[in-house]
Amino acid sequence: MTQIELRGVQKFFGAVQVIKDLNLKISDNEFIVLLGQSGCGKTTTLRAIAGLETIDEGDILIDGKPVQHLKAADRDIAMVFQSFSLYPHMSVYENIAFPLRATRKSKAEIDSEVRSVAKTLQISDLLGKKPSALSGGDMQRVAIGRALVRRPKAMLMDEPIGALDAKLREEMRAEIKRLHIKQGSTTIYVTHDQIEAMSLADRIVIMHEGVLQQVGTPDEVYSRPANLFVAQFVGSPVMNVTDAAVAEKASSVSVTVGDAATGFEFPSTLLSKLNVHAGGGLALGIRPEGVLIRREAADGFMAVETQIVEPLGSFDIVDLKVGSNMLRARTKSGFISGPGEKVFARIDPTQAHFFDKASGKSLEVRL
Amino acid sequence: MAAVRTTGEVALNRIAVVAVLIATLIFLAPIYWIASTAFKPKELAVTVPPTVLFQPEVTPFIRLFTKRVQMQKPVDPQVYEAAPWWEKRVYDGGERVLKVGNDVQLSQYPNRFMNSLIVAVISTVLAVGMGTFTAYGFSRFKMAGEADLLFFILSTRMLPPVVVAIPMFLMYRIVGLNDSHIGLIILYVAFNLSFSVWLMKGFMDEIPKEYEEAALVDGYTRMQAFFKIVLPEAATGIAATAVFCFITAWNEYAFALIMTNRRAQTAPPFIPSQIGSGLPDWTTIAAGTFLFLLPVAIFTFLLRNHLLRGMSFGAIRK
Repeated sequence: MTQIELRGVQKFFGAVQVIKDLNLKISDNEFIVLLGQSGCGKTTTLRAIAGLETIDEGDILIDGKPVQHLKAADRDIAMVFQSFSLYPHMSVYENIAFPLRATRKSKAEIDSEVRSVAKTLQISDLLGKKPSALSGGDMQRVAIGRALVRRPKAMLMDEPIGALDAKLREEMRAEIKRLHIKQGSTTIYVTHDQIEAMSLADRIVIMHEGVLQQVGTPDEVYSRPANLFVAQFVGSPVMNVTDAAVAEKASSVSVTVGDAATGFEFPSTLLSKLNVHAGGGLALGIRPEGVLIRREAADGFMAVETQIVEPLGSFDIVDLKVGSNMLRARTKSGFISGPGEKVFARIDPTQAHFFDKASGKSLEVRL
Repeated sequence: MAAVRTTGEVALNRIAVVAVLIATLIFLAPIYWIASTAFKPKELAVTVPPTVLFQPEVTPFIRLFTKRVQMQKPVDPQVYEAAPWWEKRVYDGGERVLKVGNDVQLSQYPNRFMNSLIVAVISTVLAVGMGTFTAYGFSRFKMAGEADLLFFILSTRMLPPVVVAIPMFLMYRIVGLNDSHIGLIILYVAFNLSFSVWLMKGFMDEIPKEYEEAALVDGYTRMQAFFKIVLPEAATGIAATAVFCFITAWNEYAFALIMTNRRAQTAPPFIPSQIGSGLPDWTTIAAGTFLFLLPVAIFTFLLRNHLLRGMSFGAIRK
């Protein structure tokens, strides 16, 4: 039973503020992923929770008790580093036993616990080896074993699989998830890889330039991004974002993308919803799967020309020229044969996002 | 190494091997000279051209370890017959071993050799130990004026030590440190410390700080993390630094000559002092020098792998 709470946390490196007023509540057994580009403050946040970094203001609470003045050793938290940090002069067994040796446990107890963790992670046959003799995946398993063996209050992971190659990364991702479901300890996981974040997290915390952007389930941050940064950071291929203008028509509303001559058709309810947020410029966000394409003209579809086609195996990404802007659409693979085709496109209103251009905030318009 | 080598590369390689062999011969020649002289009969030590083939003998070593006087008249044959083999060797040279009662009087050499060992070992342990802690501090913690402090430490090596020998001698005399082990140890530590700090800092910088951080998170204090994680990782660096510091302290001549004369005198100033007046006994001096070479040779040989790494250190960037 471990809850972690950050209250108004601020951190400066010299004159640079790397964490700006961070508030976050993590509940028991939750798998939280801190997601952001490098330098966004996610690793610093993690290190502050671990006690490897001091904070300049605010509180860090573990189970309701402020711990910001406690040493790392006294916080009862385990951490897995990107570099694995296995001690090269110790065997795998010694590495896993190392945290237990800091406690007053008997030799027999330590031995049984090391062996049980090794069994869970399927590394029992590696116990006698030195870390330098291990593969990347095994090193990571040992590092996780070392973190698990003490049964800490919480597990912190700093890009634990970032150093592995793509295939192994996918395997280890699944393994970490399995392990979390089985062991169920509060976990904070840092990554810059949004696929990792989406696949692992109970909730994702997105950070940018030291500021928390959005906290939500993978589905929430994907389908209801709070602002333009989240909209464009989460999801691959990236969401289309363009300037947009709205005009009222007889029975519908026309949304013009950039400098295009004609607009896309939207239901008339859009206008009343947008009116609430009068002011500033408007930006339209639409994911590639929200751009619908067909070959024949139809009601509400606009004639466009295809540009580049990127075949990605299970689907293609097609660039459509709308005015001077490009809209990227997702199609069945092979649907568009190449550049220069005339096709018809529309935007699925239910998948459209509207943002205030000045603040970047979502206008929370749902159709 | 499956690389195919061209004829040019092979030729170049052979030339390199020959060059290394020649260089090795040049470097080893003086050592051979000393070693062979140490085992030569006295009269063959100064022949021109040098004697290369001879019956080796240990007489120079016997002379090295005993106090002797020149005999005015030949030894009494009965006394000669009763003497042990090694004493006969001394009689053969026209000298007799000094005795108090039946106890053979030892020369000053073992004593001076021990002084060398005491001073070199203790000063090396202190210099490397302090250097390791200091380097860890500089490597891991940010502090005001870090670069200036490091430069200050380095600057202590910018003056040739002999320049300060006389003022140091006067200061030592006032505080009563001259001709004492502790005085010499302090000098050598002061002299080696800057080197030790700088070399160890390089090694410390190479140890990822995540190692200690992992230990800190795993429930250890920083001190425990230092001893359990950093020290074993720094073993190579410590060994290399220790070899360099030991060699410096072991070979040091100028300070030892000025600061010590009896009680704490080390071997380097002692050995040449035995040349004495009259005909110098080169074989005995060579024997003393030869023994003096051994500790450094053994120490360096034992740590050779670390040393190689220590010397090529900095040549490889991560």
